[in-house]
Amino acid sequence: MISNFITMNGYGIFVWSSFVITFLVCGLVYYKTRKTLKKYEKEFAKEIEELSIEQKKTVLRNSKIASKILASYNKTI
Amino acid sequence: MLNFFHNSYIFFLIEKLINFINSIFFVLLLIALSFALVFSPPDYLQGESVRIMYVHVPAAWISLASFSCISILSILNFIFKIKNLKLITKSIAPIGLMFTCIAIVTGSIWGQPTWGTFWAWDARITSMVIMALFYLIFIVIHKFFDEDDKANKISSIVAVIGLINIPIIKYSVEWWSTLHQPASIKITGTSTIHSSMLTPLLLMFFVLILYCALIFLMKYKTEIIRIKKKNLRRYDQ
Repeated sequence: MISNFITMNGYGIFVWSSFVITFLVCGLVYYKTRKTLKKYEKEFAKEIEELSIEQKKTVLRNSKIASKILASYNKTI
Repeated sequence: MLNFFHNSYIFFLIEKLINFINSIFFVLLLIALSFALVFSPPDYLQGESVRIMYVHVPAAWISLASFSCISILSILNFIFKIKNLKLITKSIAPIGLMFTCIAIVTGSIWGQPTWGTFWAWDARITSMVIMALFYLIFIVIHKFFDEDDKANKISSIVAVIGLINIPIIKYSVEWWSTLHQPASIKITGTSTIHSSMLTPLLLMFFVLILYCALIFLMKYKTEIIRIKKKNLRRYDQ
């Protein structure tokens, strides 16, 4: 039964290669997208840290998104 | 109600949605794969090779839907000049290109046992390759133009021109004599696919749509951070 499932009556190579290619590409794109997002979050957090305390306060007060990005980055580290 | 459209609320929603999709995705993927690879029956003509349909067809649907979406949003952007639309089209394009390539490659693999060849310059396949080229041009423009406004203008024109190709892809199997079979699933009219095959197909489509939403949200979030990062430099000066 397992052998039938793998060979798929001679079509196994076509069926499995289609599924493997699809999910491999999806996995790679997911990994790359997540990595880029984390990289940007890290760089953003680093740039905020480099600001003076006054500037930092102004940024976080003026931009709710900035504080959310910082919170999201702090959660991951 | 106004709060709903506020950027910080959208950002908050994006985070919630990413976490939600991440939490249910693998369970749904396992269910869809079980239906596609185990529970669905083989075809009376194509045998087990019909299972390729469960990745090929959803990939083709997503690639067509993504390009239509990019084109329509580009037209709306021309008219209303909404900043977010640019970010949305830029985030959708790589997903569309990926699924167009998947549809072409899996279609080619399916072609070997069904038609006896991996490739034929048939109307449906050629028009899909043309769409992949449109996606590629759209992405390359954003990569190589430093000025965002110029890149958006040119890429929008490309997307609008590419829209002409969508009905060509859809009706290519009816207008020309092609190796590719006509559509089995029709929104208007009777579908010629059995429910035992339609269920896994729709399940796989739903899972891949969730995957697209996940990638789109992550890319959109990255774009927002990129803009915020640019704005941050004003404080440095």
